[in-house]
Amino acid sequence: MTDTELIEKLKADLGGKVAEIAHPAPRRLFLKVAPQDLIAVTTRLRDVYGVVFLSTISGVDNGETFEIVYHFSTPETDFNLRTEIPRADPHIASITPVIPGAILYERELQDMFGMIIDGLPDPRPLVLPDDWPAGNYPLRKDWKRVRPEEVIPGGKS
Amino acid sequence: MNFQIPIGPQHPALKEPISLRMTVEGEVITDVDIRLGYNHRGMEKLAEEKTWIQNIYLVERICGICSHSHATCYVQGVEKLMDITPPKRGLYIRYLVSELERVHSHLLWLGVAGHEAGFDSFFMYTWRDREIVMDLLEMISGNRVHYAINTLGGVRRDIDEGQKAKILKGVATLRKRSEYYFYIGANEPTFVARIAGVGYLSKESAIALCAVGPTARASGWARDVRKEDPYAVYNEVDFEVATADSCDVLGRVVVRVKELLESYKLIEQMVKGLPAGDIAVKAPRKAKPGEVVSRYEAPRGENIHYIKANGTDKPERLKVRAPTLANYPATVEMLRKGFIADIPLIFAAIDPCICCAERTVTLIAAGSGEESVVRMSDLRRRAITRHQNAPVKRNAVWPL
Amino acid sequence: MLNKLARWSRIRSPWVLHLNSGACNACDIEILAALTPRFDVERFGILLKATPRHADVIIASGPVTRQMRDRIIRIYEQVPDPKFVIAVGACALSGCVYRGAYNIMGGIDQVIPVNMYVPGCPARPDAIIDGVVKLLGKL
Repeated sequence: MTDTELIEKLKADLGGKVAEIAHPAPRRLFLKVAPQDLIAVTTRLRDVYGVVFLSTISGVDNGETFEIVYHFSTPETDFNLRTEIPRADPHIASITPVIPGAILYERELQDMFGMIIDGLPDPRPLVLPDDWPAGNYPLRKDWKRVRPEEVIPGGKS
Repeated sequence: MNFQIPIGPQHPALKEPISLRMTVEGEVITDVDIRLGYNHRGMEKLAEEKTWIQNIYLVERICGICSHSHATCYVQGVEKLMDITPPKRGLYIRYLVSELERVHSHLLWLGVAGHEAGFDSFFMYTWRDREIVMDLLEMISGNRVHYAINTLGGVRRDIDEGQKAKILKGVATLRKRSEYYFYIGANEPTFVARIAGVGYLSKESAIALCAVGPTARASGWARDVRKEDPYAVYNEVDFEVATADSCDVLGRVVVRVKELLESYKLIEQMVKGLPAGDIAVKAPRKAKPGEVVSRYEAPRGENIHYIKANGTDKPERLKVRAPTLANYPATVEMLRKGFIADIPLIFAAIDPCICCAERTVTLIAAGSGEESVVRMSDLRRRAITRHQNAPVKRNAVWPL
Repeated sequence: MLNKLARWSRIRSPWVLHLNSGACNACDIEILAALTPRFDVERFGILLKATPRHADVIIASGPVTRQMRDRIIRIYEQVPDPKFVIAVGACALSGCVYRGAYNIMGGIDQVIPVNMYVPGCPARPDAIIDGVVKLLGKL
């Protein structure tokens, strides 16, 4: 099935749940869904279209909102699902009931952006150190690090 | 009686800091907890402050073994954003270095697997052969690791006739030596018996947990980015995807050995078919706003970079997911029901490149809460004696 | 007399501990490659040991990540005196490309005292062996 045929089938099948489907390059589809439809669309893609492989989940800080992109791929084409959640209330449901392999990527999103993923089986921090001060989310655009003074042994600072 | 034993972060088995906390009951592992973060260097934030060209050198240093894969994946993506196409000769040289890197990485892994199984001579042999590949890479690019041969729009250095002849000669020697290793594998029953049946991962688990690379291919799930999403030259050369059906460490060794042979074939095709022409085109300083998803088959699995540009000369967002991170849930699954003695081997079998995975093993007694620290070298010694005293599995077969 | 014997044996055959504090692995693979038949440091008596308590020399690589900082200090204290530290690779010297990242201290000498610096990205095995030999020559 070529990309254009696939887009037509998806539009007919998912209808209102998918706000837009972009096709910027061969084998790359970008679908936009609302946060509350995320689990329904993912389940449908897994059951009907055979989309089982999740490559990763990226988070982007867009100022007022956070954008989350789920990168799936099949041997024929790549599906990238995009949702947006408001910065003031960053909640999103976890897709681990549908795709168990998503757990580490969602934990990383929690660490780096401060998003709250509901329903995670294991919500501990993943990559930040044990003595990291709480409330600091490094990948937010407004977070800057103040470096402590470096002491060069045997020389001038 | 359950115990929990910590392994790491400093231990001699893995050259990288990682902490594994395992809950064990006697000799059998019931649960594993992996603590990452010892290698977390904050690169995604740092990448937003550097220009497109500076980021090539930053991204290369995510990992020392697969440095070219990260650099190439990044450069592929940015070239799409900037809408430039490198000339054919540049692309052939770039992917020739990729295949040489795959050879060096698989030879390195074969040595490490032999070392974990107690077969130290094999380790020395494969690393001696690896020096041939390092010399070839140094001849092409100037450095043994971190080749820095990529630039936006092509490559930086060219290959001449003398170098081409040396590459072909080096690959011929390596092919003869690799075939000797397969002979060892087929005729050394203790080595095969040691690794057969260890670290079982069924095909359904591999699919559900999104495993990548040789770990997934050894469970019979044939996914290879070079075949599905052929970038640049891979739809012009001829090769096969290597799979195995035994779902254990033996299958992973077989898959990597098959991939070595395929890589030799690919290198010869690329060197003989090298087209004439320029090696690079000029790239603009700023990239148009947009986003791109770039995928690449690194020696350990699928490497994916998601790059977003906003019209300036610095990226808006660079997201890197290296292959080893995708294999962690699968590793936890493999370690459950395994023996403590097999921990170094199972963990080494996914070819861990923890520096790629962002970058840090504890056994905790789940009954009394006691913690005891066991060194990886003790585990390895225990494993070797245990398997020396166990009866040899006579029906384990080398399926090549 | 016994002191002279101990000093002679320490110089002739130093036992080495390899410490990775968050590096990209290139320097670590070059340290391991120094054991392989091409460079072969074992003929000089240099052994790679597994535990800090047996080692004379610590070969450290990597920019120090925040998580590893306390662990490095703990390992340094476990090595018995007299001990020497060699910082290998540009990351261990000053942080290399990671300078300025939020999780990086910026070089091994911010955490433990260093006796010898071996530059390179990654440092070649020949340079590492040269560094160890020069350090021992100064003793």
